[in-house]
Amino acid sequence: MVTQIIGPCWSVKRLGIPDSQIILMIADDMACNPRNPRPATVFNNANQHINVYGDDVEVDYRGYEVTVENFVRLLTGRLPPGTPRSKQLLTDEGSNVLIYLTGHGGDGFLKFQDSEEITSQEMADALEQMWQKQRYHEIFFMIDTCQAASMYERFYSPNILAVGSSLVGEDSLSHHVDPAIGVYIIDRYTYYALEFLENVDPHTKKTMGEFLNVCPKRVCISTVGVRTNLFRRNPHQVPITDFFGSVRPVELISNVTVQPLVTNKTQKKAPALPKKYRYVPPLVDFKYLV
Amino acid sequence: MPWFILTSKSDRFSEELLIKPLYSDHLYVHFQFATKWDTNPDQESFRHTHIFPRALGEIIERYNVQELHVSLAGGLWRYETWGYPILDAAPGAEVWAWFKADTEDVDKNWKELASSLSGLLCASLNFINVDNSVNPEYTFKPRGVVSDQKINSTYVRYASLPREIVCTENLTPWKKLLPCESKSGLASLLNSGYIHNVRYHSIAIHMRPVCRDDACEFTSLELQQSVSLVYDYLIMGTKNWSFRKLFGQGLMGPCPLSENSVIFVDTTSNVSVPFQLIPSPDDYITSVRGGHVSTFAKYNVKPYAMSINANYLGKESVLLNSPPSLHANQYITGYGQERGGIVTKIYNNHWGALEVVVLQNIPWYVPIYLHTLKIDVNGVRVEPVGIHYIPGRQRQRPYHLEILLKLPPRSVASVSIDFDYVFLKWQEYPPDANHGFYIGSAVISANLPLARNFTGLPQDGATIADSFNASRRGYLVQVRTENMVITLPTPDFSMPYNVICLACTVVALAFGPLHNITTKRLVLTVKDNEKLIVKIKNRIVKAWTERNSGSDVNQSVQ
Repeated sequence: MVTQIIGPCWSVKRLGIPDSQIILMIADDMACNPRNPRPATVFNNANQHINVYGDDVEVDYRGYEVTVENFVRLLTGRLPPGTPRSKQLLTDEGSNVLIYLTGHGGDGFLKFQDSEEITSQEMADALEQMWQKQRYHEIFFMIDTCQAASMYERFYSPNILAVGSSLVGEDSLSHHVDPAIGVYIIDRYTYYALEFLENVDPHTKKTMGEFLNVCPKRVCISTVGVRTNLFRRNPHQVPITDFFGSVRPVELISNVTVQPLVTNKTQKKAPALPKKYRYVPPLVDFKYLV
Repeated sequence: MPWFILTSKSDRFSEELLIKPLYSDHLYVHFQFATKWDTNPDQESFRHTHIFPRALGEIIERYNVQELHVSLAGGLWRYETWGYPILDAAPGAEVWAWFKADTEDVDKNWKELASSLSGLLCASLNFINVDNSVNPEYTFKPRGVVSDQKINSTYVRYASLPREIVCTENLTPWKKLLPCESKSGLASLLNSGYIHNVRYHSIAIHMRPVCRDDACEFTSLELQQSVSLVYDYLIMGTKNWSFRKLFGQGLMGPCPLSENSVIFVDTTSNVSVPFQLIPSPDDYITSVRGGHVSTFAKYNVKPYAMSINANYLGKESVLLNSPPSLHANQYITGYGQERGGIVTKIYNNHWGALEVVVLQNIPWYVPIYLHTLKIDVNGVRVEPVGIHYIPGRQRQRPYHLEILLKLPPRSVASVSIDFDYVFLKWQEYPPDANHGFYIGSAVISANLPLARNFTGLPQDGATIADSFNASRRGYLVQVRTENMVITLPTPDFSMPYNVICLACTVVALAFGPLHNITTKRLVLTVKDNEKLIVKIKNRIVKAWTERNSGSDVNQSVQ
């Protein structure tokens, strides 16, 4: 379900969060899989209104890179040397982090690839480590799996607002199938959440409280679980752009003169001495082989 | 900062597009973007760049890279029917780099270079490690200029990731390295929905130092970025192509930062399969190169909307496609999951002898045996001119085999070597272990004496225009063969679960009877509580038998 994960990514990008601040992990290669009848495209729904896998998607972790280890390393910042910036979560104590997870889940776990899973305890410990390392200010944790609520039940770190598409013991149901690919492309909860975000613009006055109620039981079929006791603010007073957008009030100041602190001296380099450069024959000549 | 643009003329950018109808009902489209920056690569700090992408510059400065070649390709270039591409690329990802001679730890820099590139291109290049890289002795010489007398091959690294899938997320960051990105110029034609619906697509980055002028006493930094596409007329539905059919849109003018922005259409095949170009080209160019004449229609990209259409005129003559001088195949032999072999077939269709170098980078989990190396030319066993072999070591380094071969005229050489299938550790299997394990393509290099079917760039050139009339002593081709997939003996990962289920069932089934047998005693008892009807029946039977036989033996039926 690539749409599932690309959709929220596409929505937050529309609300002003640059690609450099989005870390996307996709284990599937659905867009360019030879079995996709429309290569390099993934549509947000079966009516194919919007190609969410458009020209500006940047997948940071893909294929075999999507492992529990890499995910926990990414959250906690314990990455090997040489990891590029696009694969790091460069956040600090002032950052609001949105974590969106989807896939196959069960009571207390979420599957990664076909071989491993992250448990709710591991998830909670990773977030606690983030808190202790001052890697976030607030976290909005969104999960769309079966028995999603079980994933956030063990959280014990402050300032986390969590929402899951279904309670423990409930299945999270899909919204519709794309007959051309033959797979269900989006789940109900994500579908209605995206529908809500479609009508959000960067200057919106909508709050997180409204977002938490996007999918009542009659449309979602599963019960959306919410956990607010770790969150210090009232969700109904938190603007939705605190997590889903990048709104920076810009004030233009015109009557300020800036004195350069450092004089712009170009460092004098020793001029390169002329050397004799040459092209090397690209292939060894067998005559000169010893 | 307009003042800077005015003062700085130290870098130049050119964009070119070549459209070439291939013999086999395919259309080859190649975008070539070249940047040349007159700066000393050894001293440049990349704090400020003008046209050259700073993101790439920082990486090559940090890791002390002298030359960098990255390609990501989907599909296989069919040398036999398509001829030679402008830039060769192996299916999947391929990286090779030369490090500067003052690099302390080449392996460490190589590993970190690859992982930085993975962030730059959104590809899983961080899987490149010491255990899948080789330092080729003969195949990958520096393409750029060098000042040292001796070339030390310990500073080169080569690795390929045949499993890598190339998709729009690779193209997006690649386009961001261009000065105009995809906002204007030829790069605006690269729409992912169209260019991935092709038979073959590849994107590449080639960075190297080149001569600044003819005296070649100073160096410049050159960056080539290219996209190659091979369209299939069957997928397009028609032979007549246009910008709209190929890219979904027309061209809205050149990139304002480019020095020249041109489109070439190869009209050499116009003699046999005539087509008409609309609008008519600005110029025709005839290029004589290595005994091969080709003609090109040239369009200068003008600052207004333009599109090129080609309409085939329908009178086709029968076309004989002569295969190129050198092409190759690679396949797996053997059956079962114990022993196998790799066979590389190299076809020399040239009338003269060819000297070829075969490079094979075989993963450590495919242990090959050098004593089984067998080279047959036209069925006759021959000895190679030379062999460079570094045996692999489990989990540490791959098997690196380079074979120097002299192919007689019009011959087929087959290079075969045997290997064993090995067991991996449980954690080393990928999530989809039953998909198979990839062996990267072999690289077969040769200096061809003739430029037939050859469109490659000369070593001293970076643009397609440089390849016109560029007759040289030899024309380097580096043929990439197919990737191979082998199925290593894969354990059943659900086995522990099955064992638990099975064992529990067996225990449960065995426990009941065993418990009964050991705790209960079987005692024969005589049943008295017979039902009334049985009693009556017994009486009747008794009476009847007594009367018939007159026997006095008491019987009881139970």
